[in-house]
Amino acid sequence: MQRAIEEAGIPTIVIAALPPVVKQAGTPRAVAPRVPMGANAGAPHDVEMQTAIVKDSLEELVKITTAGTIVPLPYEYIAKV
Amino acid sequence: MDLTVVKGLQSEIFVPITPPLVWTPVTKEIKDMKIALATAAGVHLKSDKRFNLAGDFTFRTIPGDAPSNELMVSHGGYDNGDVNKDVNCMFPIDRLRELAAAGFIKEVAPVHVGFMGGGGNQEKFKNETGPAIAKILKEEGVDAVLLTAG
Repeated sequence: MQRAIEEAGIPTIVIAALPPVVKQAGTPRAVAPRVPMGANAGAPHDVEMQTAIVKDSLEELVKITTAGTIVPLPYEYIAKV
Repeated sequence: MDLTVVKGLQSEIFVPITPPLVWTPVTKEIKDMKIALATAAGVHLKSDKRFNLAGDFTFRTIPGDAPSNELMVSHGGYDNGDVNKDVNCMFPIDRLRELAAAGFIKEVAPVHVGFMGGGGNQEKFKNETGPAIAKILKEEGVDAVLLTAG
């Protein structure tokens, strides 16, 4: 999906809980906070963490210069399951 | 020495091959961008049709002004516990609105997209659903897309 949008001429970035998977799928740009599959943008109701992840993702969208780059983000949320 | 015992034997396991690079350069500053969200997490309006949890290559558009409490998730491939408490976990639309209000981005796109990743007909996703979603976002003049569920 990311590739289809990128191919149409819109730059994209994906928040990835599974960085090796997006790498193999051919992502142009990705960020990887330490998050579970069910909460990529941060813990539920944690406005501060969610805002930081969204802001950092958009900043990396501009900063990344090489296709296939995955930038780790310094946020961690471990879901209680 | 030829170690091949059976000619033409193939693995039963799907081995994905990383496709060629795709790249669109960023030409604007973040503060000048209209941003859309696209998620494979199965997000859609509560009033919209749910996804088929066994596999579904269709997608749902989500209006940019849809209140987050009118959104829900139908997805059979991950723990929905967190996203049911707060849809922003996978679809940070409220955070995006706050960033637009603060001037960090120019505006929230008038349309966003939810679909159900993690399975389904991959050929349909690649050749039909993906291009269809890209076309909608292009027509709305979206400058960049933030995806989740990677």
